[in-house]
Amino acid sequence: MYELFINWIANTPGYAAPYALAALGLILCERAGVLNLTAEGIMLVGALSGIGATLILGGYPPVAIVIAMIMAALVSMLFATMTVLLRVNQVIAGLAMVFFCQGLTALLGNLFEWKNQPITGIGRIDIWPLSEIPVIGHVLFSQDMIVFLLIPIFYLVNRMLTRSMVGLRLRAVGESPEASDAAGINVTAYRFLTVMAGSALVGLAGAYISVASTKIWVDNVTAGRGWIALALVIFARWRPWRALLGALLFGAIESAMPRIAAAGIKVPQYFMLMLPYVVTLCVMIWVAWSKRGGATDEPGALGQPHVREERR
Amino acid sequence: MTASAVAKRRLRGVRLNLEVRRDISPWRQAAYLAGFIALGVCISGLILIWAGVPAGDLLDQFLVETISDGDNLRSVLFQGAPFILVGLSASVAFRARFWNLGLEGQMIWGGIGATFVSLHHIGPEALRLPLMIFAAAACAMLWVAIAGQLKLKLAVNEIISTLLMNYVALNFLYHLLYGPWRDASDGFPHSAKYADFERLPDIFGVSGALPLALVVTLLIWWLVGFTRFGFYMKFVQASDKVAGAVGIPVGRITLASVLLSGALAGIAGFIVASGQEGRLIQNFSDGYLFSGILIAFLSRNNPIVAAIVAMLVAMLFISGQSLQVFYQIPFAMVQLIQAIIVICVAASEFLIRHRIHIVR
Repeated sequence: MYELFINWIANTPGYAAPYALAALGLILCERAGVLNLTAEGIMLVGALSGIGATLILGGYPPVAIVIAMIMAALVSMLFATMTVLLRVNQVIAGLAMVFFCQGLTALLGNLFEWKNQPITGIGRIDIWPLSEIPVIGHVLFSQDMIVFLLIPIFYLVNRMLTRSMVGLRLRAVGESPEASDAAGINVTAYRFLTVMAGSALVGLAGAYISVASTKIWVDNVTAGRGWIALALVIFARWRPWRALLGALLFGAIESAMPRIAAAGIKVPQYFMLMLPYVVTLCVMIWVAWSKRGGATDEPGALGQPHVREERR
Repeated sequence: MTASAVAKRRLRGVRLNLEVRRDISPWRQAAYLAGFIALGVCISGLILIWAGVPAGDLLDQFLVETISDGDNLRSVLFQGAPFILVGLSASVAFRARFWNLGLEGQMIWGGIGATFVSLHHIGPEALRLPLMIFAAAACAMLWVAIAGQLKLKLAVNEIISTLLMNYVALNFLYHLLYGPWRDASDGFPHSAKYADFERLPDIFGVSGALPLALVVTLLIWWLVGFTRFGFYMKFVQASDKVAGAVGIPVGRITLASVLLSGALAGIAGFIVASGQEGRLIQNFSDGYLFSGILIAFLSRNNPIVAAIVAMLVAMLFISGQSLQVFYQIPFAMVQLIQAIIVICVAASEFLIRHRIHIVR
């Protein structure tokens, strides 16, 4: 039982990483006022590019992950063009992107025969001798590269968002594009580039799923995690560190699922698979319940296209 | 000074000025729309050719084969029915400012409700079919009511809640099909076949699903166009705050629209289950969510236009199936084409709403 418990805790960060990274990317976009529903699709782009690049390069998963981030950012330019330049309804554009990416990745995965081809992927790194410390060593110092990078990435993005000029302007664009425009900030450029940067992080989350977790490409490998990440953003009230906390919660639930089954506790399999979605729903209800009538901390201009010519 | 430097300076002198149009002639609007749809079709065609479909066969596959071949035409006519219903379902919800993205989950619950009636032989044989349709609508309504109430009472974002509930419904369906409802006769994970009187009868050699869907279309057209309810919906769609201020019961109108939307999706679920295999199968609701949104978006929530668009989507759907058989093109291609067309139409709205001036 004790073994199982340590094993569960040690595996949690690996399950939490995609949620955390995707939520961080979405927080960036939404802080700039772009309601980004594309996460599920962009994660798929990242996941397929990660596998494809690994197969073409014959290894080098870190390079493949970087390529996946670049591909995700490139594909997100289509979304950015639609929402930021062409002022299309952000919900419609986001949904269209998700289905575009689902179709595209399924088609390309098939045509290039990347489907069902196992890869080695990235493995665990033991930071010797710290990893030999009983209990903590296994949990904290024996993880893969991306998990080790999580804290630095979150620190940097959070610092950028809250303590830098770029971050201040980005948040200003999300709160009031009209005022930012009047203050001389290029709203279009800020939103466009933020969508690309945020999508690169979402792509990283997708690449993590395929290159580090499943190590294989199948259609819709992300299985709705993008939508859960979206709910996480609301739970986190658009703050990075809270998103990391929420991601760990979901990681813990997801990594507990196979272990409960292994421990011999009889729960119908499909109710188990329902659990992440049900928990997400419950968390959303709880957040809404606890903030009835109060402020939700939502960026002021979330989902509103900025049309300078319609300025009032 | 070199020639290229001059060109650059001149280029810099050109400025694009945007202007929001006050009005646009319907002809010009139609021309832009048609142009962008044509662009989307061309892009889709190029992707298909690149994926390995001979260019000469494209038109044949998409138009000639689907209409001239008797079997294919029957499939298109049947397939149109669930698409009409999901399209209406999405548009009714959108009219009340509710993003119902749970169409697939509601279809699944519709299928489950109808199959429950079938498996437990509820009601006399003559009444079985209406009972199944009623059960499908009721189950789906209960399912969507959760998201509807959460939105109205607690302001829970319905985009995410309805989407997540699709996954919950799908896993529940798997639980039933791999567990209590597994077909005892062959052991496969699907439910036992419906009896003949539990399936929609053919009318003039064509599945009765389409006439049913067309009747529903007319009812919805009447409801949104000619009743007080529809009039109130227009208020809510334009501005829920103003609607509330002038005394329209916004909450009740929204909830009623959401329930109606759920019921339509549930009936669509029953039609797919009964019309295709005559039983519940694992992924019978796949792909209807986006098609429903696409139909509502392209028809601008107009029921009659939605029915026409739904028939076109059905043609695309059936062609996609034959592409899969003949050229091993994955069925995801259909989804990709739909997404490309939505993106193109969305882009065309920019030109419809704005005028671009080139200022020198």
